[in-house]
Amino acid sequence: MTALTRDDYPLSINRPDLLHTPTGKPITALTMDAVVSGELSAEDLRISSETLLLQAEIADASGRPQLAGNFRRAAEMTAIPDAEVLAMYNALRPRASTGEALAELADRLETTYSAPVCAALVREAAEVYGRRDLLARPTGDDD
Amino acid sequence: MTSTAPRQSSAARVSRRTEVLEARPVNLDGFVEEWPEKGLVAMESDFDPTPSVRVEDGRIVELDGKERADFDFMDTFIANHAIDVASAERCTAIPSVEIARLLIDPRATRDDVLAVTRGLTPAKVLDVVKLMNVVEIMQGMQKMRARRTPANQAHSTSARDNPIQVAADAAEGALRGFAELETTLGVVRYAPLVAIALQVGGQVGRGGVLTQCALEEATELELGMRGITAYAETISVYGTESVFIDGDDTPWSKAFLASAYASRGIKMRFTSGTGSEVQMGNAEGKSMLYLEIRCILMAKGAGVQGLQNGSISCIGVPGAVPGGLRAVAAENLVASMVDLECASGNDQSFSHSSMRRTARAIPQLFPGTDFVCSGYSAVPNPDNMFAGSNFDTEDYDDWNTIQRDFQVDGGLRHVREAEILQARNKAARVLQALFRHLDLPAITDDEVEAATYAHSSNDYPLRDVLADLKGAQAVMDRGITGLDLVRGLEAAGFHDVAENLLMVLRQRVSGDLLQTSAILTPDFVPLSAINDPNDYAGPGTGYRLEGERWEELKKLRHVTSATNPETEVG
Repeated sequence: MTALTRDDYPLSINRPDLLHTPTGKPITALTMDAVVSGELSAEDLRISSETLLLQAEIADASGRPQLAGNFRRAAEMTAIPDAEVLAMYNALRPRASTGEALAELADRLETTYSAPVCAALVREAAEVYGRRDLLARPTGDDD
Repeated sequence: MTSTAPRQSSAARVSRRTEVLEARPVNLDGFVEEWPEKGLVAMESDFDPTPSVRVEDGRIVELDGKERADFDFMDTFIANHAIDVASAERCTAIPSVEIARLLIDPRATRDDVLAVTRGLTPAKVLDVVKLMNVVEIMQGMQKMRARRTPANQAHSTSARDNPIQVAADAAEGALRGFAELETTLGVVRYAPLVAIALQVGGQVGRGGVLTQCALEEATELELGMRGITAYAETISVYGTESVFIDGDDTPWSKAFLASAYASRGIKMRFTSGTGSEVQMGNAEGKSMLYLEIRCILMAKGAGVQGLQNGSISCIGVPGAVPGGLRAVAAENLVASMVDLECASGNDQSFSHSSMRRTARAIPQLFPGTDFVCSGYSAVPNPDNMFAGSNFDTEDYDDWNTIQRDFQVDGGLRHVREAEILQARNKAARVLQALFRHLDLPAITDDEVEAATYAHSSNDYPLRDVLADLKGAQAVMDRGITGLDLVRGLEAAGFHDVAENLLMVLRQRVSGDLLQTSAILTPDFVPLSAINDPNDYAGPGTGYRLEGERWEELKKLRHVTSATNPETEVG
């Protein structure tokens, strides 16, 4: 498939054929009848990683590489449960984590969630935090 | 601090004229001298760095006079993520006056400007906008605003956190034209009920209005994840490392949070503004605008689609120094000229003078921005839980008249009384039925009646606050989501409102609202910088207030008929 362009936007109108929920339903299945009959769960109203990658293509085609990069990190994060996303965010706050803890977080992103772009962001943070005294001191450190 | 006693010694006689001037509201405002060493200076400071950039091996190794080894985390983040490395040296070498001219030259397109601004350093951006007077800043904004069609955003809150009031005022605000509605709380535990009221009321007024509830980061994200709110905005960033840390965040934590929102299909923008660093006590001796430009580029680097700026809650600080409101206009322009959606302030009361309040909005209202106000108070200011906005419900007719006088689109319109009463009444009835369906605290018919005709929270019967807070907790404990609201609205017989909300929720599956400057039209068409790009190219081009929309904005509360001067039209 060729990459999407600005002309495909909005996908909800011009390319609904490309849009699916994380549960595999087409976006056209999100109808009031389906809501009332109880066929839909909250999970059906989430964005899928595939859709975020499509929006990233459109952002790239519109000359917005940083926005596209954000969508690619987001695509990786769709696999991470809500509570863990919040915990990861909190771990990145200043002096919240040791260098080791951030390295473990990056590894977990990469291995458990196949999230290399997010992992790279965390590794970059760890490097800067080390230089700017923003890491937590390791607990039980005797020196 | 709101007033200063007039300095009149008992001995010296003053003129009657001085007495009259002393009594003018503007003399209740606070003004101070510049103090550049402490950062109390708008945009012209000898302590701001000189632009420079050096690239080695595809990496920025020098930024605005600093070597990489000396970068603080803002420099690092901006150098690594915000600036286009390939064009940085070339673009930053272009004389600032050439770039400033490009910004106002109608023969240069928005894309032509972006091809240059993507490679500029923070000090270079400052050097460019420092050359521009306020009219030139407005010309720049007219071309650089990302979305062709301007819009507006409202605050809908209640001094008593009364959900019925919030629903009714949201419905009226949506009907009057706001594309986004924002709420916050006095008592934070009320949030789930008020957020539901805002969402439901908004969809009664006009399908496709987007809503948000400003709370601390984690709770705000949770309400968004549940589909009770549609977007988020109060994700604050700051221009110095020390103040950023005081806010318990870093550019990396905020960039991660930006992706977290996108990963749930939720539209989000950051918030920043001139004066925040000096107000928080650590401007590191830099001008307000230089620090704000660092915030804007940080937001750009994080890949967030937009920014709420224009001093926001710190407007009293730039408002007190010489050239302060020119700097505020410039910061909106900078957000737009680096291709971010700009929700451009005008959202905090800062002056006792109606003339100053109006003048403060001209640089955004006349050229148009993505959201002229990032919070016009759609409730009377005493009910505004964001501490009061620059404009409130009492200014609706003035705003509409100014739109008509100057033929500019500030996003609002005059709506007839019967329509407003109908929407307010329906919003209250819908919320009443929904609360009943969800087994939340009852809303009485008296409250519905009050909501229909009310002005402020004083016009409503008092709620049982303890019962409401229990109900609010139940919303969280029972895991109620946006889908439950749709189901409840449908079951309660309000099919049209249920359908509107379902259409809004469906948008998060498509991700269309994640693109720059996206809003939803009444037909649920996402309108963003991609399918509605600003194509301004001089007189006769770009967004023009004309056709049906202009006819709509010609209407006011009282307009005399041309054919029968005894009657009014409308």
